[in-house]
Amino acid sequence: MIHTEHLTKAFGNFVALDNLDTTIQTGSIYGLVGSNGSGKSTLLRLISGVYYPNGGWVRIDDQDVFENPALKNRIFFLSDDLYFFSKATVDEMADFYRQVYTRFDNKKYEEYKKLFPIDTSKRINTFSKGMKRQAALMLALCCMPDYLLLDEAFDGLDPVIRLMVKKLIMGEIAEREMTVMVTSHNLRELEDLCDHVGLLHKGRILFERDLDDLRLGLCKVQAVLPKDPDWGAAGLNVMQCKRQGSVVNLLVRGSADETLDAVRALGASFVEAVPLTLEEVFIGEMEGVGYDYDNLVF
Amino acid sequence: MIKLDLQSRTPLYLQMEQQLIDLILLGQLHENDQLPSVRNFARDLGINPNTIQKAYQDLENRGIIYSAAGRGNFVASPSAAGDLKRRECMQTLDGLLGDARRAGVSREEVHAAVDAAYDKPKEGDAQ
Repeated sequence: MIHTEHLTKAFGNFVALDNLDTTIQTGSIYGLVGSNGSGKSTLLRLISGVYYPNGGWVRIDDQDVFENPALKNRIFFLSDDLYFFSKATVDEMADFYRQVYTRFDNKKYEEYKKLFPIDTSKRINTFSKGMKRQAALMLALCCMPDYLLLDEAFDGLDPVIRLMVKKLIMGEIAEREMTVMVTSHNLRELEDLCDHVGLLHKGRILFERDLDDLRLGLCKVQAVLPKDPDWGAAGLNVMQCKRQGSVVNLLVRGSADETLDAVRALGASFVEAVPLTLEEVFIGEMEGVGYDYDNLVF
Repeated sequence: MIKLDLQSRTPLYLQMEQQLIDLILLGQLHENDQLPSVRNFARDLGINPNTIQKAYQDLENRGIIYSAAGRGNFVASPSAAGDLKRRECMQTLDGLLGDARRAGVSREEVHAAVDAAYDKPKEGDAQ
């Protein structure tokens, strides 16, 4: 379990993380979304013990991470700008990781060499961007981390490799309860991957939620009603109401079935649930906590 | 045997539940058949194991599958799945009939469609 409390990190005058509290359960995949400069990478660097916080603390399995080699042996942080030794091949990098990570799995490495379409005896600096990513992901998984921190890790991967990496990661989670944190500025990239998402904005987590609850917690309804009734009295928690003639579009908190029944009971001649994209759910939730989503670019 | 639509608005765990129920009703999965382990499912489909666990847990709560500690998950009596599916069908039918009425489909046409459907040879039905 990763736990942060009042975590603060500033670079000079710039406060990158501001009193951030969050908990990430073991075995879950936590997606962190946010615009550029919102603090995603800073949070991962604090969790992996690269940075020392200016205030608050971050603990993994109830231990401080900073300068804690035993714990770091179980954490792998894959930065968005990949680093390889100059002129090194993938095999040479594997030799390096073997010395750093005591749990490096040689059998797995041999297996992955066959799975990933890259030549591990070639210099990495001759690789394309996507191939470099593959090499880094492959090495990361071989280090057998309990905590895998991925910063924009799927950037530049083709769909086939992306699916393969996804399957490998899911297998690791199921097998040995690996915990994954993955950041992206694109919500769509995370939705088929994560079970929890947190939205980071200006160094704070605006909200975090179980993805399934998020999907089921709001529904959009289109109905034909001559005039606006008292929604509250009908048991509806209406977050948004837009009217065009006799047609109303409602954004309601609650399950689709109950909402449809309630709107029907108000005497609507036509009611229909309209599917909601995850982005719309986010907009709804953001407005619910008083933020204007339009100012947060994804 | 399971196909998930990642673009759909329906949560993946609900899609999984639906499809497992359909497989049970179609007779592809029999009573006491073992379901794939969470681990294998996760790896084969590339789906978050927590999602699969959630689907299994929910199906167990609804009495459609049962779990045996350390051995895995198994199909319970198909009647539970049947009841659920029947209820859902009636709900869908209700909505569709409303649409049909509004679109001007006559009572006789609906009756004829019902008769036709029920007289059809049992193709793809449970034995």
